[in-house]
Amino acid sequence: MSLAEMRRRGILGINRRNVLYTLGQNERARYPLVDDKLLTKQLCRRANIPVPRLIASANTHREVGQLLGRVRDEPAFVLKPARGAMGNGILVLEWRDGQLYRGVRRMAEGAFVYHAAGIVSGLYSLAGHSDEALVEERLETDPRFAELVADGVPDTRIIVYRGIPAMSMVRLPTRASDGRANLHQGAVGAGIDLVTGLLGRAVQRNREVLASPDTGVSIAGFEIPEFDRVLDTAVRATDETGLGYVGADVVVDARYGPVVLELNARPGLAIQLANRAGLRPRLEAIDRVHPDLADGERAPGTPAERIALGREIASANP
Amino acid sequence: MSLAIRLTGALLVALGLAVAAFKALRHDIPLAPTEERGPWEVELTISVRGDGQRGSIRALLPSTEPGQTIFDERAAGERLTVAIQEAAEGRAGVWTGRLEGVHELVYRFRVQLTGLETPIDGVLVAGDTPPSERDVYLRASATFPVSAPAVVERIEQLGLAPASDPAARIQTVFAFVAHEVQTVESGGDDALLTLERREGSAIGKERLLVTLLRASGRRARLAQGLELREGAVPSPNTWVEVGLGETWITLSADEGILGRRPENWVVLGRGPRPLVEATGARAVGHRFRSVREHLRPDEIASLMAPDDPLLAWLSLYRLPIGTQAMLRWLLLLPLGAVVTAIFRNVVGLRTYGTFMPALIALALSDLPPSWAAGLLGGVLAIGVGARIALERLRLLMVPRLSILLCLVVLYVTSVALVNQHVGGRDWLSGTLLPIVIITMWIERITITAEEEGTLEAMRRTFWSLVVAAAVLPVFQSELAGYLVFTFPELTFASMGLLVWIGGYTGYRVVELIRFRSLTHEAPQR
Repeated sequence: MSLAEMRRRGILGINRRNVLYTLGQNERARYPLVDDKLLTKQLCRRANIPVPRLIASANTHREVGQLLGRVRDEPAFVLKPARGAMGNGILVLEWRDGQLYRGVRRMAEGAFVYHAAGIVSGLYSLAGHSDEALVEERLETDPRFAELVADGVPDTRIIVYRGIPAMSMVRLPTRASDGRANLHQGAVGAGIDLVTGLLGRAVQRNREVLASPDTGVSIAGFEIPEFDRVLDTAVRATDETGLGYVGADVVVDARYGPVVLELNARPGLAIQLANRAGLRPRLEAIDRVHPDLADGERAPGTPAERIALGREIASANP
Repeated sequence: MSLAIRLTGALLVALGLAVAAFKALRHDIPLAPTEERGPWEVELTISVRGDGQRGSIRALLPSTEPGQTIFDERAAGERLTVAIQEAAEGRAGVWTGRLEGVHELVYRFRVQLTGLETPIDGVLVAGDTPPSERDVYLRASATFPVSAPAVVERIEQLGLAPASDPAARIQTVFAFVAHEVQTVESGGDDALLTLERREGSAIGKERLLVTLLRASGRRARLAQGLELREGAVPSPNTWVEVGLGETWITLSADEGILGRRPENWVVLGRGPRPLVEATGARAVGHRFRSVREHLRPDEIASLMAPDDPLLAWLSLYRLPIGTQAMLRWLLLLPLGAVVTAIFRNVVGLRTYGTFMPALIALALSDLPPSWAAGLLGGVLAIGVGARIALERLRLLMVPRLSILLCLVVLYVTSVALVNQHVGGRDWLSGTLLPIVIITMWIERITITAEEEGTLEAMRRTFWSLVVAAAVLPVFQSELAGYLVFTFPELTFASMGLLVWIGGYTGYRVVELIRFRSLTHEAPQR
């Protein structure tokens, strides 16, 4: 019976996540801090946490018309909605010989303006409200990822519960996902051992894969570069939000090291598939170590102490 | 689920059920519709505008007679006195007073209809005696030009049976008007013109029938009333009654009816006066509304006027019919919400919008399934096709959505025209809301198709339709409609269920599938 098996493995379901964690631990008034990428950026900058540099933004259709002029000097950049969801509406672009390119395809400048106008109109925002179009620098993947990723920027998702990292995975973009690090678009999700930073098992579209579909290199045993700093960045960034249950997306950039791409107050459950493990035992273990915390309150201790606790709990609940 | 949630839910469910049970047991209110052919409640609203002069408004009122029993009559008129007149051709309500500004007059009644069978058979014929020459129902008038040459000539040409066989004579005249005169919407009401052109309005045909029957020596008169339909506005109806012995036999040349009054016809009056007329008024208008109840008259009485004054005050059965109809509709929404919540939170289907499937189901619930499917499919197809075509023009979102709306409006307009020309029933009135919702839906579908792929968009469309289809039977259920209207306190029970669903932290059904690869793999180590 798979229901009993799911309970035994401690799989966290969406209802339980919503009631106990996103509703129970995340104060509604603080959601904008993570839902609005511009606010997240400011938050992180104030705390000296690296984020992708903002090049330009547009709030109105008039500003949309000027957007392209302000990015002419940037060799490569990303256009994204400030309040988008699930990676919707994001374009990764670069200039080649004075022409705009999206991957291998040329993109007309009119199409760029149209897309940005769609963002401002609220086409990709969470509730369809008007939105802000952001242009930020394109991150450069750490070269150590080259053996697993042919194209696109892999990012590391860490679930941080009450300030303690509970589980993590890396999302590896593939040709099938069109260079995007979104699992539902065909990116590979691979579980990371919190203690060692080594990749374990991996899934693509809910099916287990052993090697990178693009490079053919075996996934298990690959070491995430600078994983200790990745965890530290994730924990410190989520500390700034005051939210109790957050997913932090961290990219290891070739130039800056770990950079916070975005934070998520409703992190998805696919991380359990990538890790082949349930979240519940780890979240409940954290509650057992700190039974007296109020809803939304974070565990005491320095980031380093909390990371050590998270690693201890993870290794006790494989 | 926390204790607070369990208790809150239980409290609400208990409250709703307890009040309903109290009402059912204490006041003998049945828990299900008891009478398929219950009485109708009919409401006549007259709006009259005056500029300060004295005036009066006269409306034909129904009487209890074979085929119909009238009860629960109530009349009201703003600042006017109302009196009921009894006359040979029926009853009338007369409102009098100084007409200043707009007055709204309301007359409501309940009627139990049984239909009336008056076959032309030997028994009736045997009792027939020729009417006297002076009989009022034989007389010629401007409306019934009995002695006009064309009428006399037509009677001769019909070659009627001898006067000793009145049934055959009536049948011959009826057959001529019913089968050889066409009904046209734009036709005239005049009997002679209808005879000459072999076409006329429904009223023109009935007048011609009366004229010819009188010319053939039979007593005949027009009857006026309403044709009642569930879920529709009553339509005024005029038909013919021909005297045979002591009995008046119902005929309708337009409907092709001879010898029976259908079960949904209510008689308001006979004679030449219109349904509503006014003197001293600058303008007058009227409309009828009706609703059918599925209870016996005594049960309705206990709902309308229970012994307990509080319950009487709370009874929805005393509200104006338009409000009743709206509430019957509105009170079903919470049930639809419960079903939607189960599908979203317990099953875990991904749909567009939270209540959109339920709203679509509710709005389409009056349509026959083929119409609902056709309308939905057509609007979706047009919308998605147009959205793809418009993509190239790169329009801003609001105008683009508006163009989509224009196309959908044009589509619905052409459906209405085609329906008119193939002679279908008027299904389209009242479908405004779903069409707007579907238009918004198209936008969501196309965005999803762009962002997450056509497959995901189709999948979500499919699940939205599944939820709509699951909610539909609730909205169409007579029992559900009866229960929520008779026991509106059940809405508290729905809230209780929603509290429970809201606090459900167990797995969703779709998660059993999503995490199947985890639960089915061999245990590690």
